[in-house]
Amino acid sequence: MQKSIIFRGLMACSALVAASESVLAADWGDHAGVTVEAKLIGGQQYEGLYGRIAEWEAATGASVSIISKKSHFEIDKEIKSDMAAGTTDWCVGSNHSSFAPQYEGLYVDLNDLVPSDVVAGFVAGNIGASTVGGELLMLPRAQFDVSVLYYLKSNYEDAEKAAAFKSEYGYDLAVPDTWEQVKDQAIFFADPPNFYGTQYAGKDEAIVGRFYEMVVAEGGNYLDENNKPIFNSDAGQRALQWFVDLYTAKAVPAGTTSYVWDDLGQGFASGTVALNLDWPGWAGFFNDPESSKAAGNVGVAVQPMGSVTRTGWSGHHGFSVTSDCANKEAAASLVMFLTSEESQLAESAGGSLPTRSAVWEANVAAAKSGDDAFRAEALAAFAEGAEYAFAVPPIPEWGETTNIVFPELQAAIVGDKTVKEALDDAAEAVDELMRESGYY
Amino acid sequence: MTRRRLPEWLVLLLPAIIVIAAVVLIPLLFSLYSSFTPYKLTRPSTLWKWVGTYNYEKILSDAKFWAAFGRTVLFLTIVLNLELLLGLGIALMMNKVTWGQRTLRTILMFPMMFSPILVGFQFKFIFNDNIGLVNNVLQSMGFNAALPWLVDGKLAMFSIMFAEIWMSTSVFAILILAGLFAMPRDPLEAAKVDGCTPWQSFRHITLPFLMPFIYIAMTIRSLDVARAYDIVQIMTGGGPARRTELLWTLMSRTGYVDARMGLANAMGYVSIILSILFTVYFFRKLSAARAELGMAG
Repeated sequence: MQKSIIFRGLMACSALVAASESVLAADWGDHAGVTVEAKLIGGQQYEGLYGRIAEWEAATGASVSIISKKSHFEIDKEIKSDMAAGTTDWCVGSNHSSFAPQYEGLYVDLNDLVPSDVVAGFVAGNIGASTVGGELLMLPRAQFDVSVLYYLKSNYEDAEKAAAFKSEYGYDLAVPDTWEQVKDQAIFFADPPNFYGTQYAGKDEAIVGRFYEMVVAEGGNYLDENNKPIFNSDAGQRALQWFVDLYTAKAVPAGTTSYVWDDLGQGFASGTVALNLDWPGWAGFFNDPESSKAAGNVGVAVQPMGSVTRTGWSGHHGFSVTSDCANKEAAASLVMFLTSEESQLAESAGGSLPTRSAVWEANVAAAKSGDDAFRAEALAAFAEGAEYAFAVPPIPEWGETTNIVFPELQAAIVGDKTVKEALDDAAEAVDELMRESGYY
Repeated sequence: MTRRRLPEWLVLLLPAIIVIAAVVLIPLLFSLYSSFTPYKLTRPSTLWKWVGTYNYEKILSDAKFWAAFGRTVLFLTIVLNLELLLGLGIALMMNKVTWGQRTLRTILMFPMMFSPILVGFQFKFIFNDNIGLVNNVLQSMGFNAALPWLVDGKLAMFSIMFAEIWMSTSVFAILILAGLFAMPRDPLEAAKVDGCTPWQSFRHITLPFLMPFIYIAMTIRSLDVARAYDIVQIMTGGGPARRTELLWTLMSRTGYVDARMGLANAMGYVSIILSILFTVYFFRKLSAARAELGMAG
């Protein structure tokens, strides 16, 4: 771990040196005397980037006033209140691919403010997920999220376990490549209440996102091309059955239906969960002896397959410029700076995933030539995992559909309804919402 | 020409009328108006689209809303009655304490001093199925299972009620204790001389005297509990599978997360009926109890 810290430190330092050199060279424009008001997502993993803002201020003569810094869910509520009150004359806002479609008319089309060669430097999929109705609503920062499989390596190094598994399931015990194998192994490893085979997010958008990617992995989809719900298909029922089976077999903690990301991360770090599909931000935490009992015993593999493809629900953070901003050029300059190659190198040195092609290549090459095997393993898994990434439907109603669907998924999981009943009820309610919203 | 002047009473009342209109009346009328629109926070223009009673029709035919309504009534009934019984018991015992009663009264009020959000977090931890205090105690006593306190429908409602009762029973205890302090001693002493048993004294003298205090506490707490939100939101968020969904968790999700403020306001107006019914019921009981004691209705 010590090596890992040194390696990351070196990478961060080299990236920052490169960044500071580049800032001097880059032309961010002259915006002397302009004050750009910003509402930014707060949190330890996001703060490092904001430390670079002083460099942009020095290069442009402008200043940045951060008027709000909160979690994304809190910022979301604040922005909705701003929209209702008409107080949207601040300039730069943190945004997320899952949230962006909701804010109709709030943010400008960055295609008009950002040169096309700058846009071309980003991963095409990320730009696609940042575009709603043909408008580029945000530039992605180095906070790309797709989940891969974290596992405890020791479970695969025990000959007795391997023999017992083979005799019970008829195939060799190895790191799972399909969700069926995950289910078998989770049930096999589970020893409740002391040890669990796996776990999953159990409420809010989190469980709907997990369900959504399982539906896709099973060959189905959440909505059709007219935004009509189709998640109650056979593929959807197979996907939900997977969650139900694990819960019924007590292979997941009983409280999993109340868990979201922090609970899951802490659960795997406690060393009492064998397999865990989770986000890139946790990699360092899971393998750090100070925060995780699983440190040194963590493996990272590409996310498993359903019967058709691999899962890949993804999202990314970004920055947007408001339509009511008095100085959009200065705001766009700040957004370009915060998402520049240098900024992404610096931010992704902390372990997050970039959204620029060149930064991906630089990070993978640096990890390969470095001496941190875990970092290299994780990056390789995420690089492969990113190939299967897909964003949520770019419609304002996505969040609202998740609030309709998640209690129904829970109802099936805890046994209040059958899988079919729960999905049919959810589909009926989402159908009504889509009709009300005028999609068909 | 003499200038027309406003009557003095109106001039004197005007500041109060303006303040009340600004902070109560106008928001109330505005929210009532918006309940007849499809108002979405993210689409301010929807505020000017009149949809008549559509939101109300939608709510009245929505089984999920009525389930939350029924659950809130059940929650209210159980919590109020248990708080009354426990508060009455505590107050009667406190009344017997002759040494250190002031200190005890202060300690009694501790739970009321906590923010409901903190109480929610505290009990969320205590009832956590994996790392929670209750399950760990049970497991250390040899009970080898993790009870899903916040997942199982009945256990989750029990856990939320437990937290609510823990925090607010002292409201009943303090108000009933005030009643006991104000109670004249003569009727009790006369009853003792006449040979009444302690139960007879309590049933026919103490309790009727305390009833006005009990109904005041009931009215205050019924309004509090009917808008229970903080503890429920923190502990279960209304889940899982809507097993602990109460009116306010449903309304807040509709209004602030889904941004459908028009619909949420309509829910608010329907649910106000609940508060009005409970308040009218308790005020009637209060008047009856006061009349029985010979006080003005």
